[in-house]
Amino acid sequence: MQVQLEHPADEIKRLQRCMNDLVSFLALPAMWSGSTPGDIVHTLLDSLLRMLDLDFVYVSLTNLVDAAPSETVRVAQSQEQMFRPRELCTFLNRWLGDDPQKCYLQERSHFGDEEVSLVSWPLGVQREIGVIVAGSRRADFPQDTETLLLGIAANQALIGLQQARLLTEQKRVADELDQSVAQRTAELAAANEVLRKEVAERRRAEEALAAGKRDLRLIVDGMPGFVALLRPTGEVALANPQLVEYCGRTLEELRLWGTSDTVHAEDLPRVAQVFARSIASGNPYDFEARIRRFDGVYRWFQVRALPVRDANGRILRWCSLLTDIDDRKRAEAQLAGEKQLLEMIASGRSLPDVLKALCRFVEETADADCHCGVYPIDWRGPTFTSAVAPSLPASYTDPIEGLHVSCDVAPCGLAAHEKKQVIVEDIQSDPRWAASSYQKHVLAHGLRSVWSTPICSLQGSVLGTFCVYQGEPASPTQRQLDLITQVTHIASIAIERAQGEAALKRSEAFLAEGQRLSSTGTFSWGVATGEIKWSDQLYRIFEFEPHLTVTLELIRARVHPEDMMLLNEIIERARSAASDFQYEHRLLMPDYSVKYLHLVAHGIRDSDGRLEYIGAVQDVTQRRLAEEALDKLRSEVAHVTRVMSLGALTASIAHEVNQPLSGIVTNAGTCVRTLDADPPNVDLARETARRIIRDGNRASDVITRLRALYGKKEATTESLDLNEAIREVIALSLSELQRNRVILRTELADDLPVVTGDRVQLQQVVLNLLRNASDAMSGVEDRPRELVIRTERDESDRIRLTVQDAGVGLDPQAMDRLFEAFYTTKNEGMGMGLSVSRSIIERHHGRLWAAPNDGPGATFSFSIPCGPASATGDRSLGVIGTPAAKDAKRVQRNP
Amino acid sequence: MVRRSLVSVVDDDESVRESLPDLLRELGFAAHAFSSAEEFLTSDYIDQTRCLILDIAMPGMTGPDLQRELKLRRKEIPIVFITAHRDENVRPRVLEQGAVECLFKPFSDTALLNALNAALRVS
Repeated sequence: MQVQLEHPADEIKRLQRCMNDLVSFLALPAMWSGSTPGDIVHTLLDSLLRMLDLDFVYVSLTNLVDAAPSETVRVAQSQEQMFRPRELCTFLNRWLGDDPQKCYLQERSHFGDEEVSLVSWPLGVQREIGVIVAGSRRADFPQDTETLLLGIAANQALIGLQQARLLTEQKRVADELDQSVAQRTAELAAANEVLRKEVAERRRAEEALAAGKRDLRLIVDGMPGFVALLRPTGEVALANPQLVEYCGRTLEELRLWGTSDTVHAEDLPRVAQVFARSIASGNPYDFEARIRRFDGVYRWFQVRALPVRDANGRILRWCSLLTDIDDRKRAEAQLAGEKQLLEMIASGRSLPDVLKALCRFVEETADADCHCGVYPIDWRGPTFTSAVAPSLPASYTDPIEGLHVSCDVAPCGLAAHEKKQVIVEDIQSDPRWAASSYQKHVLAHGLRSVWSTPICSLQGSVLGTFCVYQGEPASPTQRQLDLITQVTHIASIAIERAQGEAALKRSEAFLAEGQRLSSTGTFSWGVATGEIKWSDQLYRIFEFEPHLTVTLELIRARVHPEDMMLLNEIIERARSAASDFQYEHRLLMPDYSVKYLHLVAHGIRDSDGRLEYIGAVQDVTQRRLAEEALDKLRSEVAHVTRVMSLGALTASIAHEVNQPLSGIVTNAGTCVRTLDADPPNVDLARETARRIIRDGNRASDVITRLRALYGKKEATTESLDLNEAIREVIALSLSELQRNRVILRTELADDLPVVTGDRVQLQQVVLNLLRNASDAMSGVEDRPRELVIRTERDESDRIRLTVQDAGVGLDPQAMDRLFEAFYTTKNEGMGMGLSVSRSIIERHHGRLWAAPNDGPGATFSFSIPCGPASATGDRSLGVIGTPAAKDAKRVQRNP
Repeated sequence: MVRRSLVSVVDDDESVRESLPDLLRELGFAAHAFSSAEEFLTSDYIDQTRCLILDIAMPGMTGPDLQRELKLRRKEIPIVFITAHRDENVRPRVLEQGAVECLFKPFSDTALLNALNAALRVS
């Protein structure tokens, strides 16, 4: 329908002004970019008040993301006495009522004594954002142009407010997106800058135009946006040239939008529904839809239409404004896509999944029919590994798997090596790849352009490459470059995170395996909080259900009752000060088996000064049992060798016993005879009886010594005089030595300190050394068979015993094997003597060694610590000198 | 009064030197004890000795050594060996060399008397 217009001179002026105002309104969103809703409202009200010559104007905002509902009112300066803001707000609130359906009100009303024309205009289809009310005492308010201006102002305000809202939402996006948001905001600002320049240019053009043409048609045509006027039935009456040019369709063709591809097929059903409902109800519509550009590209538009009514409220026409929001939509879509990718990464989705989604995201948003691939690099090769290219066939990606990364193989190799983007617009003509088999590979898959970008970590190392392919030669647009920059950044986050997780998992697995293999568990104990954390292995050692909350009470339930005091003592000491400690204790398991644990803990204070211990617990039960078994075995071996040594001494021993027995029998014979004599020689009888007693004791002593050497198996420790022990051994072996014609010289030092150890075991060693020395000289006829046994102080705190013979000496070849078990040079020996002797001396913390003499023969010596200090010879039992260990030792002996 | 026959005892064991002379006296002999073969050889009693009770195993010169030495000196003193080593190989060896008897310690007074009587009969 053609709008009827009058042409008086003032009407021209009015239209001219209207034109200027309109242009000003259209420039508002650019000015509002980045403003708060409050700023937007203030500018809007000031502009409306001035342009429409109103007495007052009012805005109520009800639905803002980050602000409370607000009311704002502006009153013309000349009318401030008449319309007081507070009363005016109350009045307008009542007038508007609560019904959101009542969007477009227009009536004369009474405010106090004054009659005013009120027009309300919704922000949003149904006041969901708010409402504007304009008031004037003019009876002809509002005129058509004023309604149009008010509508456009409201529309622009709505865009501004929604942009402000979008901005607020954008601010809430995660930190990773900040950069992107800033970039997008800058782009929007730049776009607005372009728009503003266009507006300025247009304005000059429009002003020239307006001077000659004064018809609404020209206003519509001259608007720097897409405008269509519709008949009340919804039929397109007029489309401005910009819209026609954009669509590349005639007005006639545009009229058929409901059945053509002007609106994107996916959006059309929804749009048609909204449109039909609005036309039927007379309520404004507002929707977003993709509209086809002349070249077939669809861009997003926001489409709003307001009905223009006459004084009776009848709809004269619909004024529809189409705003290109494609950039905003893209920014939103890109933000949403990037956010989704980051969420996938954050929620721990697998790397291939994330990279596939990343490729698809680029393929969908890059404005090009493209394929994407991500090629992580394993720098140990270096090779490409685990390639992801969801839209390319396996025949493309498979050969890339394991491919060596080098500069001349593929753009990806070059990009990785040079750490810079490599753009190959057409691989067919690019000389860099003419010699490469990669060129054939790419072409064989119908691809021409290859853009490869390195994916760099924060530290700057190359994690892989991101590649975009197209079937046609192409170079990237700025937008595509920006998109690639953004997704390679996301890819780097994904790959680094996956690598970090893999490394962490590997290290955790190593740790767990190490703990399992070494039967070692780890723990931490926050003393203040009482929080105790255990590794899985520790749960296994204690045989508790995994994930049971560990408390000191729980631990106490497993500790061996005899070690409870010790544990409490340790805990008390640990609580009082941060120190390192280690100790051993036992567990009594539910099946009454006993476990031996060795615990090492390190105390630290955290930044708040709270005490925490971290430590390791090793199950040393197996070791302990093995040590016990070994000790037992050693004792038995020592016993056997001792018995064998003594067996060899049988004759000597018989001699030792027979001597006193002989004395007894002789004396007894004498005694009987002297008593039978007449008169009896009582004095002699008494003397012989005394000798019998003495010799009897002597025989008993021999038996006792023998029993001690034969009978004892278990090791005991006592303080002993080494010289005395040696004399006993000499007494037992003397006649044996004599029989072998050995000349024994004893040089035992006076005043030797006592040693602590096992008397019988040490005697066994001496016996062995004497026998060996004696045996070594059995074939010696050309020199005295001299044997020297000597004791002396060795250093300050040790005693040394030396047995020196004049025998055959040592074979230098055999020196190393001398102390090995079963090594022997004798026909009837088992070769256990020296081996057992050395182990006995070592368990006394001593040393046993042999050396050749300057002259004939050899010298064997041992050196052991003296004094009670060597009482820590607990090692003879194979346990560590801790309270728990001593305790354990006691238990071992008295099970 | 009949002059008693002198029996000399050579033994490194003190209790033998202590007890045996007393028994010998009770049996009606004169007795003298020496702690080693060397002591006996350097003493003035060799020629008076009618019987020698001699320990086999001694440090230095052993009983059999002394037996040989006396033979070399042509001192035909009957010898009764005594030993605490019950070694059956020793006995025939010393008897072969001319000993009258070899007693294993401990021996009874009767066994000793029989051996001495045999020795004195020889002489």
